[in-house]
Amino acid sequence: MKQKSISLITIVVLFAVAAVMPAVLKQYHLNMLTEIIIFALYAVSYNLLLGYAGLLSFGHASFFGLAAFATAVSIINIPGLSIWNVILISVAVTTLAGFALGGLLLRHKGAYFALLTLAFNSILFAIATKWHSVTGGDDGLSITRPDLSLGFTTIPLASLTNFYYLTLVVLGLAIIFCWYFTKTAMGQTVLLMRENEDRMKFLGYNTNISRLILFTFSGAVAGLAGIFYTFHFQFVSISAISGDMSTTVLLIAFVGGTKKFWGPILGAFVYIILQNYLSDVTDRWPLVMGMIFVLMVLFVPGGLSDVITNLWHKFFGKKDDKDGKLTTAEEVRP
Amino acid sequence: MSEFLVFFLHGLAYAGLLFLVSAGLTLVFGMMNVLNFAHAAMYMLGAYFSYTIVMQLTGQFWMSLMICPVILFVIGAVVERFLLRRVHRYGHVQELLLTFGLAYIITELVKWYWGNYPLAINVTGFLNGTVSIFGIIYPMYRIFIFVCAILVGGVMALVLYKTRLGIILRAAVNDSEMTNTLGVNVPLVFMGVFAFGAALSGFAGVIAGPLLSTFPGMAQEILLDAFVVIVVGGFGSLGGAILASLIIGELQSFGVLLFPKLSMALVYLLMAAVLIIKPSGLFGEES
Amino acid sequence: MSDYLHIQNIHKDFSGLKVLTGVDFKVREKERHAVIGPNGAGKTTLFNIISGKFKPSSGAILLRGEDISGKPADVLNRHGLSRSFQITNVFQELSVFDNILTGVRSRHGLRYHFFRKPAMNRVLTEKTEAILEKVGLADVKDQPASSLSYGQQRALEIGITLSTEPELILLDEPTAGMTREETEHAIKMIDQVTAGLTLIIIEHDMDVVFSLADTISVLHYGTILVCDAPDKIRCDQRVKDAYLGEG
Repeated sequence: MKQKSISLITIVVLFAVAAVMPAVLKQYHLNMLTEIIIFALYAVSYNLLLGYAGLLSFGHASFFGLAAFATAVSIINIPGLSIWNVILISVAVTTLAGFALGGLLLRHKGAYFALLTLAFNSILFAIATKWHSVTGGDDGLSITRPDLSLGFTTIPLASLTNFYYLTLVVLGLAIIFCWYFTKTAMGQTVLLMRENEDRMKFLGYNTNISRLILFTFSGAVAGLAGIFYTFHFQFVSISAISGDMSTTVLLIAFVGGTKKFWGPILGAFVYIILQNYLSDVTDRWPLVMGMIFVLMVLFVPGGLSDVITNLWHKFFGKKDDKDGKLTTAEEVRP
Repeated sequence: MSEFLVFFLHGLAYAGLLFLVSAGLTLVFGMMNVLNFAHAAMYMLGAYFSYTIVMQLTGQFWMSLMICPVILFVIGAVVERFLLRRVHRYGHVQELLLTFGLAYIITELVKWYWGNYPLAINVTGFLNGTVSIFGIIYPMYRIFIFVCAILVGGVMALVLYKTRLGIILRAAVNDSEMTNTLGVNVPLVFMGVFAFGAALSGFAGVIAGPLLSTFPGMAQEILLDAFVVIVVGGFGSLGGAILASLIIGELQSFGVLLFPKLSMALVYLLMAAVLIIKPSGLFGEES
Repeated sequence: MSDYLHIQNIHKDFSGLKVLTGVDFKVREKERHAVIGPNGAGKTTLFNIISGKFKPSSGAILLRGEDISGKPADVLNRHGLSRSFQITNVFQELSVFDNILTGVRSRHGLRYHFFRKPAMNRVLTEKTEAILEKVGLADVKDQPASSLSYGQQRALEIGITLSTEPELILLDEPTAGMTREETEHAIKMIDQVTAGLTLIIIEHDMDVVFSLADTISVLHYGTILVCDAPDKIRCDQRVKDAYLGEG
């Protein structure tokens, strides 16, 4: 079980490095890192659809935004609600939404499915814009992060460092669970369906239900990211549920690479950092992102993670690579 | 009564525009099995080129109506030949991503060059006039839109079902390999179809300019309505696009009259209903 | 005694094209039933209907008296029916072991589990090993399916078909494209692995048919021309006419 111990070491090292970050980074950069973790989870959830199941969605912000709003609305309307209950309510809302939307949309495949996700995202965006009394419409909603109650003690989350640690632990664990999920019976079923759906049916798998479960799960995870998005900014506006937010996650996942589990995480780093620095240099930065995206579609369909893996192969040879942390346990394809 | 008629005519005009946009979209999808997310962006380019030609260079609306589709035809041909064809072998997801990325870039370029604010295009002369229908005075331009849609729809139907070219096109859809062996240059046919779709979107953009304002969000706006048209009408069906354009045009128009706050929701409700009752659309074939 | 499987007056047309026009035959339990017929007679369409890929236009398929026609493939598989494909249809990027495991875990209800990993269950791995042994692929179990030779891929195809422990097996031209030697080997293997099971097989190769089948149905122009024991079929004039007329 060499592979297993390598993945375990990788995880422990990554957590350890992340844990010392508050001591190393300035506030500004710690803020950025928190945002990266949030978008990493969002992109990982998206890649469960795109990379694993081959489902192209242009409406993933439906879930991200729904949870972001559910969080703000529940905090504002139910005074004294604990942070765990906020998370519980919001995840429940997105899970239900994922189940309902999935039931309606998954009857279609390919381009048709992609188009419908876009359309339903637009409906939700329109509702969020128009339903001013609840969502605040164009003005958005401001909240204060509730404190973290652990039973024996209460930790104030007003401090960025504390919030960073909460984000790291909760979302980090969620990412690890997603990774584990890809190895489980369900995760493998979804993966094999993309490869040969017909055969899966003839082996007794109900492929429609599998897709629905995956879609719901992916939506719920995106929701968790959405919750922390609201916590992080202590504000939510309609942009959280907009088509742009759906495009963003597509860009992140694709640029990072959809064929590896860690691709979208890498994508989140690249995207958020580029966003922060490019937007200082040029206000045409979405154009730059778009160009990068199209060039990658044309020439590097495997994204950055593929480039890195190939370089690794080149410099360290195939044999070493077998033990390298980059390509072993995290390969999407079994 | 006269108010009813006005809204009905408004509905027809919008239906005409919707048809012009969705006809190209559904044609390309039906022929090449590519859902072109950049279609609406090309429509927007048509409108902006038209702005430059009409408002900045010549002042001739007719001129832009002739030139813009040609420019878009060339752009479409280039996109198909050098970009789309390259990713074709990677499959549908990649094709969708490419057209999606192009739409994104075009939108950003438009914001950069023409600015992120609405621009007005004025028509002069005959089209700027009014016409009297059953006692009401109605703008000539909206009638013109509807007439254009009928002409385009008629020509497309004639070509597809009555000419040798139409036979080749439909054969290429059903079995591109077979058609290839029969001596038809299928890649060239596909390039032509995609370019024609782009030209049609450019034409629609020119038409839309004076009716709606020309701004960077116009692509997104029409794209959704056009998508609803082809979902309701059925993917790849010309007849479906005609019927669904009429339904949605009128629904939008009367929606504003009857339920001002819900006008947009009506369209989406219709789409949801179609998806539940007949997922393949009104004219779509059951798979 | 009621029949195990009764294909009852099955019709199928594809947008006007009549492919099957009243197929009717019975299969006893543990019988080895071959369906033969000239190209285009509708054999694969018939298989697709029995295995749940297509719905018949009319007619019924009675399995132990229960009509199973039109049920989806995954439900039929859980009813104990499994099929192979004429064109090898395995998971090319998966290891041979995992190919088989995919069916085995389905049979054991480990289809959609969120927490359990399939490869960690001893019962499943043992069953998988047993099937690999049966179809002669134990030596190559860790190789990806794509690296197998054609004959091995065909064996894997049968292994996957067996992996859900079916009681009724449909084999669609299991020896298609094989050399004489490979075919003989395959017949022996099929004979062994389907012992005690009900088998319906489509075949072109008459040697395979006559060495495996207890009963033969001849499908011709969408209907069953004759259904009888191999010896009778061999000298049946109608069958000769059908094949000669075709050739």
